[in-house]
Amino acid sequence: MAYIVKRMMEFLLFFLLLSFVSFVFIKLAPGDPVKQMLRVDEVAVTKEQIESLREELKLNEPLYVQYWYWLKRFFQFDLGHSYMTKKPVFDELLSRFPATVMLTCTSLMVMVFISAPLGTLSALYKNKWIDHASRLFALVGSSIPSFWLGLILMDLFAVKLNLLPSMGKGTWKHLILPSLTLGIAMSAAYVRLLRSSLLESFHKDYVKAARSRGISEKRIFFFHVFRHSLIPVITIFGMSLGSLISGTVVIEVLFSYPGIGKLIVDAIVRRDYPVIQGYVLFISLLIVMINIFIDICYRYLNPEIRLKGVERR
Amino acid sequence: MTLLSVRKLNIAFHNKPILKNVDFNIRQGEWFTLIGESGSGKSITASAIGGLLPGEMIITSGSICFEDKDITMLSNKEFRKLRGKEISFVFQDYQSSFTPFIKIGKQMDEMIQAHCQLTKEERREKALEALEEVQLPAERVYDSYPFQLSGGQLQRASIAMAMMLKPKLLIADEPTTALDSITTIHVLEIMANMKKKMNCSILFITHDIRQAKKYSNTIGVMKQGEIVEIGTKETIMYHPSHPYTKLLLNAAPTIRRLDQNIVLQ
Amino acid sequence: MKIAKYDYSMIRKWLPVLFLFAYVITVAIAPAFAPYDPLEINMSDRLSEPSEKHLLGTDHLGRDLFSRILAGGRVTVGTGFLVLTIILIVGVPLGMLSGFIGGRFDRYFMRIIDAFLAFPDFIIAIVLSGILGPGMVNLVLAIVVAKWGSYVRLVRSTVLAEKEKDYVLMAVISGLPAYKIIRKHLLPHVMGNVLVLATLDLGKIILMIASLSYIGLGAQPPTPEWGAMLNECKPYFYSSPHLMVIPGIFIMCTVLISNLAGDMLRDRLDIEK
Repeated sequence: MAYIVKRMMEFLLFFLLLSFVSFVFIKLAPGDPVKQMLRVDEVAVTKEQIESLREELKLNEPLYVQYWYWLKRFFQFDLGHSYMTKKPVFDELLSRFPATVMLTCTSLMVMVFISAPLGTLSALYKNKWIDHASRLFALVGSSIPSFWLGLILMDLFAVKLNLLPSMGKGTWKHLILPSLTLGIAMSAAYVRLLRSSLLESFHKDYVKAARSRGISEKRIFFFHVFRHSLIPVITIFGMSLGSLISGTVVIEVLFSYPGIGKLIVDAIVRRDYPVIQGYVLFISLLIVMINIFIDICYRYLNPEIRLKGVERR
Repeated sequence: MTLLSVRKLNIAFHNKPILKNVDFNIRQGEWFTLIGESGSGKSITASAIGGLLPGEMIITSGSICFEDKDITMLSNKEFRKLRGKEISFVFQDYQSSFTPFIKIGKQMDEMIQAHCQLTKEERREKALEALEEVQLPAERVYDSYPFQLSGGQLQRASIAMAMMLKPKLLIADEPTTALDSITTIHVLEIMANMKKKMNCSILFITHDIRQAKKYSNTIGVMKQGEIVEIGTKETIMYHPSHPYTKLLLNAAPTIRRLDQNIVLQ
Repeated sequence: MKIAKYDYSMIRKWLPVLFLFAYVITVAIAPAFAPYDPLEINMSDRLSEPSEKHLLGTDHLGRDLFSRILAGGRVTVGTGFLVLTIILIVGVPLGMLSGFIGGRFDRYFMRIIDAFLAFPDFIIAIVLSGILGPGMVNLVLAIVVAKWGSYVRLVRSTVLAEKEKDYVLMAVISGLPAYKIIRKHLLPHVMGNVLVLATLDLGKIILMIASLSYIGLGAQPPTPEWGAMLNECKPYFYSSPHLMVIPGIFIMCTVLISNLAGDMLRDRLDIEK
């Protein structure tokens, strides 16, 4: 428990730093936000309008005062309004988030369904054809651009065979192609990782010891080997949950899937700074929470860390 | 009565012979010691008897008969039934005798389950009994993870586990090499007691001539994959015939007085 | 008589890197042999299939696809190589310094790096190019910032691991000056590790450039960049599938070569992941 509190404090400090940096960066960014805001309406802008908006946004105050106001509003979940839609950024993010979570989960499922059996089989049948096949899969899978794989799947299943919808969100059918694309792309790395992790465990002395006690091979595999092999996999998995989230960005744009990834890219193209900033903070919050969650998983799988208080790093 | 007889056993690793015509018998209730320098093939012999040879090592000829059955001919499944129940092991590296992230009790339970049809309570009872036998705080050890115990405790726990199902042969592969000298004596005494109580045989592997001298009935001396001399303790200790045995005896630190003290204790 | 024999094992060891380097050079030179100007628009000959006149066909503006692929290779692969070079120039000295000096500087510096590494590189790149605005220069900057941390960490941990070893201690005791210790004893170990990571990363960086360009944050039309080309021709994929297939295959093969070279190099130098 003390450990989690410590992590939280660390995170809070980091978060303040990050929010300040992102605040300053946005301030330094090219383009006048006021003009940006007014330009969207595409009517002639008067000097007075600009001034009054400046006043309203407290843009004439010194930087640290601006930051203070911003921070105060931030803790009331007020991240400002999008230049584009005029809606509060926080609401925008929240309304888009479930779609991304959905996509992440289904992709994760695809990933596990591909990499767990393939990795296990290629470890059990080392240097047999299945191992070579998985090596090829991993090599090609990690070299193929995910958006291109998506394009090809889209061309095949949506355009040529007309089986699945290619764009948008709605039914479960809309999820199949995006999550298949992302899941295949992600599983390439895990197949090999799981394989080498399993192989390493096979050669541990305690496996020989368990064998010497007459424990069946099946039980040794699932009870003594598999669980331990999950530790490095979980670590990398935690790290790649982040890249999974970033993977959704490209996939969401590709399939016009309305998640937060599509939101941020639209915002970047249109220079919608409040949305960009909101996204940065939102994502960093998410990633830190994932990291803490992974730490807890880690502690469950490895009692030595839990009971002795040995840290991961 | 002969419990185990190894006949002209040859083992090769990538076509390179590493055991050459190894030949010995172990009688029921006998403490048989294999002694020799590291890399002389003692552990390979032990692994072969348990069917635990690494995949690259192959028995090229010879037989291993346990209770008049050639166990080199057994299927994996039949061998598995034998290991732990009839032939059990204690290894040098006590830390990897147990899987590190599973509680000791759970692992003992698992072993009983693999060999006997008992209820949950009976299994627990049996495991606790075995732990008490080696003078460990049974309840606490039962609920501990391996890393929570000291080296001596772990090695005693692994002896407890090895003897739990009353095997006919205990193979102890340098069980004390990684322990300090006081713990060593303790562990060896426990092994000797257990042997007396259960009347099992022990195949004891060591490179320490003093341990061989104190407990064994018969001693085999190994060198580069061959048994160069075999005989009763007295013959080997006081009338060695092979030059290597003489070398081994001379190389051992002969601290007579200390030796006697230990015996007196 | 003794004849000094040249040590070929050194070349054999680094062969994958040489091979990759040769590939990069080839890609860089290739546009000189392009049959057409990659930007030349010819509306009378648009969306044509691969033929003798146009080896890989033309795109929706009648531009020769083969020429665009060659020019795009220079942009995509060249940018990836540039990013990698900048990262090495920045990351290696900083990592060595941090490892060699140690102490408080090292501690605080590593905290910052850790904070960077907590974020997926792709997210950092997206956000940075978002703040700086779309464009190729900003993209380079964004990827450098996203990727440099892992190099600093790798170099530092290599230096720390080697520094503890006795032979470095012996060198210190025998009075070898610091720069010589770094050059003769530490640098070879560091370079081995760094080059393996760099060869493996080149593919990832190229994927990143292509992906970011595809979603419109990198190269802007009409710049021929493989990812941007795919984005530009998206509406025409159904009628002219070659516009989709060809740039993708080129990206894949380039990344594949980089990954293979990295894997081979890692096996040869026997470095753990």
